[in-house]
Amino acid sequence: MQKAEPDPLARMEAITKRYGTATVLRNISFDIRPGEIHALLGENGAGKSTLMHILSGLTRPDSGSISLSGIPAKIDSPREARRLGIAMVHQHFTLVPAFTVAENLTLDSPVKSIFSRFSAMKSADSALSRAHELGWNLPANALIRDLPIGTQQRVEIVKALATDAKLLIFDEPTAVLSASEIEELFGVLRKLRDAGHGIALIAHKLAEILAVADRVTVLRRGEFVASCPVGDTNASQLASWMIGNRDESSIPTKVDKLEIVSDEKQKSVSNPDSEIVFTAKQLIIRGDRGETAINDLDMEVRNGEIFGIGGVDGNGQSELAEVLVGLRSPMSGLLQWNGAEFKPGVTPVTGYIPQDRRRSGLAVTMSVRENLIFEAVREPEYRYGIMLKKRELTSLADTMATQFDIRTNGLDLPASSLSGGNQQKIVVARALHSDPDWIVAVNPTRGLDIHASLFVHSQLRAARLRGAAIVLISTDMDELTALSDRTAILSSGQLTLYDKAESSSLEVGLLLGGWKPSGNTIVGEVI
Amino acid sequence: MKLPSLLLALWRRFLLILAYGAGLTLLLCVTFLILKIPPVTALSSLCIGAFGDSESGHIYSISETLIKTTPLLLTGLGVVVAWQAGMFSIGGEGQLLIGALAGMAAGKIGEKIPSSLLTLIIILAGVGAGAFWGYLAGIMRVKRGVQEVISTIMLNYLAIYLVGWMVEGPLQEKARRVSQSDPLPDSVLFARIIPPALTNGSIARLHSGTLIAVLSILVVSFMMYRTRTGFGMRLMGQNPDAAKTARYPIDTLRLRAMAISGGLCGLAGVIELLGVTGRLYANFSPGWGFTAIPVALLGGLTPIGTAASALFFGALTEGSENLARFSGVSSVLIYVIQAAAVLAVVGAKSWQSLRKEA
Repeated sequence: MQKAEPDPLARMEAITKRYGTATVLRNISFDIRPGEIHALLGENGAGKSTLMHILSGLTRPDSGSISLSGIPAKIDSPREARRLGIAMVHQHFTLVPAFTVAENLTLDSPVKSIFSRFSAMKSADSALSRAHELGWNLPANALIRDLPIGTQQRVEIVKALATDAKLLIFDEPTAVLSASEIEELFGVLRKLRDAGHGIALIAHKLAEILAVADRVTVLRRGEFVASCPVGDTNASQLASWMIGNRDESSIPTKVDKLEIVSDEKQKSVSNPDSEIVFTAKQLIIRGDRGETAINDLDMEVRNGEIFGIGGVDGNGQSELAEVLVGLRSPMSGLLQWNGAEFKPGVTPVTGYIPQDRRRSGLAVTMSVRENLIFEAVREPEYRYGIMLKKRELTSLADTMATQFDIRTNGLDLPASSLSGGNQQKIVVARALHSDPDWIVAVNPTRGLDIHASLFVHSQLRAARLRGAAIVLISTDMDELTALSDRTAILSSGQLTLYDKAESSSLEVGLLLGGWKPSGNTIVGEVI
Repeated sequence: MKLPSLLLALWRRFLLILAYGAGLTLLLCVTFLILKIPPVTALSSLCIGAFGDSESGHIYSISETLIKTTPLLLTGLGVVVAWQAGMFSIGGEGQLLIGALAGMAAGKIGEKIPSSLLTLIIILAGVGAGAFWGYLAGIMRVKRGVQEVISTIMLNYLAIYLVGWMVEGPLQEKARRVSQSDPLPDSVLFARIIPPALTNGSIARLHSGTLIAVLSILVVSFMMYRTRTGFGMRLMGQNPDAAKTARYPIDTLRLRAMAISGGLCGLAGVIELLGVTGRLYANFSPGWGFTAIPVALLGGLTPIGTAASALFFGALTEGSENLARFSGVSSVLIYVIQAAAVLAVVGAKSWQSLRKEA
């Protein structure tokens, strides 16, 4: 099958990586030959980035070996990787915004002597001329922060090339680019390939892989799925590799089975003619940088249902969630709750499980008990006048800890002493203890082990049975399928409904990969 | 909490205090050794300065120590409130001066008001002015994103020079010789609370304002740990994103923290005015508002800890005068020791947290 070729630039063999109890990479092998673009495809959390972080020295594997051009190598720092000719172009740029282009390009260059006169322009000369070869005229004296994002990425790429790297890793380079910029980038990638560089491309957009890659390897949940030349495959096959073939239950993990069973049990109890309680019409939401995050979105949610929204991160999920719980104001559009004004937190009572628990869910330096009462402190029933009812709050926290099975050596310890799963239980407990009518959960089980995930799921199901309207925004397609009554995919700020019972995993995979439905091949109309 | 665990917690706290005490004593000894002063003599002369001896009597010295402690305690509490809320205010000095200035002005304007009522008005004017000075920095942060570290430093200069001008202008004494105001009438000032009989006739200057400062410890503790506002402030200080996500009114909390912090510093200013100086002059504060930051840091940013650390700083300051008299060492040396103590504590804290992570 394999042609006789020179040793690959890099060969990773049987790489395994665990974080705590979670295995994020299991026995993965991957190689990059000179003069090829090798794409790594997978959903969020499939392990693509971790694998590449191992190759670029940011992470160390638990087991497995790496050899470069046939020579075994131990890459234990990004500096070492750079010395060995491996450079990574990160999704989040590693540039200094207040420095000029030239200064940024010299960041990696070695310092000869602290007494020698330093000239950024001189040191950046070779890098700039290399940029010129690629057809880019970079403004050497412009500050990075004044440049558009596409140009910043060029600087990032040139910076990687400046270290004479033979092997370049691109982490989702198209995520921040416009269509024409993507075309240009691909041109450069091809140029680099033809010049003999080996390129690893982390991607999740099928069309892009088919357009630019020579070979593709697909990962799913840390497992190797398939690897083949791009010419031998097509979008449908890649899509089904990426999200798995659930219809045939070919990869039923223990969790899936448990979930599906309990899901069907509960489905029979749910109220078939529940009412639409939440309506959004022509919703337009701007992101932090003023970009359009959500573009003309309509959605409806009924009580007693879980409305699942899937899609790859960065397609407007976090902005949408913030609007749904009232933390961000939409640019325009109509939001209604039971036909009246939508005032999340007041009507309806709202529970929110934010995406990043350490950033916005917890204050890890405060005690577990204090972390459980963020909301309760503000409720009148826990105060006499201005004074907090300390005893009631303490017993409330104790009850929540028991009810939500938060395991700790003491509720007075800082929340940072808890495992990720137990930290998430704090967030879930706070979101659900006041029996909210409206729940927005964003990736509620990301990073959790099986038991903690099952627990969170059962809590959401219990809330659904109680009649709450729940929006579940998740990048985990299995989670969406297992929990949701109705499902949709959010892609580029647009929502596309799909019927999880009738759509094949292939169609879902195509949607996820940004493959627009043409005609009626995909079951789904924009509501 | 069950009784044994409560006892254990108390025991741990006791050990901690013991460790701090031992560490600070060691630090003092090392400093003395470096300067070739016999540590035992120096320490005892420090202690006599701060707490007196059997010859001269303890009460007078302790009274002087408490007088030095009072402004440090109040400004330290101000720092605790702001910093716990994540507002790194450096503005204690300016807020204290503005408080004293407003108190002095109120006293001058309200000359005809009955004296006990006027005392109250002076206090309120000082607290209000300090709170306003802090609120200014808060509003700049909330509305325009100006870092409070910068704005409070600038507001300090405004206050310092405003006081300097006032005591040479509108508020200057009638004689117009020195850069100071006329004294407030005695009837307005705080009462001396130690009967002369206890101090062999020498007049101990301890005044009722110190009681207000002690009361403030309780008020601030209550506010930070037993009210919704205090909880919100502490949450905001630890993680503003989480506070925002839990729908706390971040802007309001920031303004409140700055105003309360400023109010406490303003209170320190009027209490010094009404309790010790009786008048305003150009170098009214020897930098209490700045020393307040190490005081609060040494106190672990808690009200009780700050009280203990203010007492420590007060005793060092008072004791150093005695040390200077007997050993010829400049009392400035004490500021070196104070700074070294804070560095040692900060270092110990970060070492502890490093060990926890490892």
